Amino acid sequence: MPRFMEGYYAREVISPIEGTSMELMTNWRRRHSRRDILKSSALAIFPLAVRSGNSSLLDQQPMTANGGTDPYPIPWLDKNGSHNQPAGANLEPSHIYHFKGRVARCSTFTGLGTDNQGNRIAFGSPTTDYGIMQGEFWGARAAQQGVFTHI
Amino acid sequence: MFRGPAVPANQIHDFHPPIAPSGLYWVVPVPDRGLTISPDGNTFTLEMQNVPVVDQPRWPALDSIATPAQMTFKMVWKSTGEPVRYEDPSKHFRFIGTRASCQLEAQVEVPSVGFSWKSDPLNTSKSDFAILGDEVNGRYYDN
Repeated sequence: MPRFMEGYYAREVISPIEGTSMELMTNWRRRHSRRDILKSSALAIFPLAVRSGNSSLLDQQPMTANGGTDPYPIPWLDKNGSHNQPAGANLEPSHIYHFKGRVARCSTFTGLGTDNQGNRIAFGSPTTDYGIMQGEFWGARAAQQGVFTHI
Repeated sequence: MFRGPAVPANQIHDFHPPIAPSGLYWVVPVPDRGLTISPDGNTFTLEMQNVPVVDQPRWPALDSIATPAQMTFKMVWKSTGEPVRYEDPSKHFRFIGTRASCQLEAQVEVPSVGFSWKSDPLNTSKSDFAILGDEVNGRYYDN
């Protein structure tokens, strides 16, 4: 016997498949009472009982189950825990992932306006950003077309 | 919006769409004819009316209250012609386009608190960063 196989055969000799273990498999009838079998039968019909609770689902007409047609968000998170990407050089311009098309991006607005009380109020900050995404995106396991804005 | 210098302590309103259940962040569909792109592809004009948004003055605090609001705006991007390319293979995105200018005019309303605001005309605003162009990301990046 090759030296590298010695351990393999040694383990096989003490395998529980032989002897007592096999005896358990072939003599199971006399080790299980009628009560045990009744218990097993009750457990066996349990999944059927649970399924009957979802009968409304089973009553529906067959349909696809491919998920929604909404776009996927970009997969990573910003410092606040959102699927958001601030605007800037060398940063992902789109908020939609699995996308190809036209994009526009901008940030760091400054401007002024007036509220209904006549107060002059400034808008815009370094994090005031907007974006456009027009084109093809992946949703419901198929290519979709759409135009979206991040505002 | 800020009363005084644009620092978090002075923020009195923050308007944006809610985050979608999918995690899609402050993104809404643009209706037909909302986006106009010039034939040469150098000017993008986005106009939307009465977009449902929320006002979260204390954003990004987790307990920031969101009050229903609506927003009407017009935004214009114009290419400067200066080429730009951003690509990150680790994040699977590639953008090829140009730098741009961007200007905005908007008005917002928060009916429940009787607040409304209207910006000065479009040409009085400016942004320090803007780009426009073509992008691929995700499953389209390697194709």
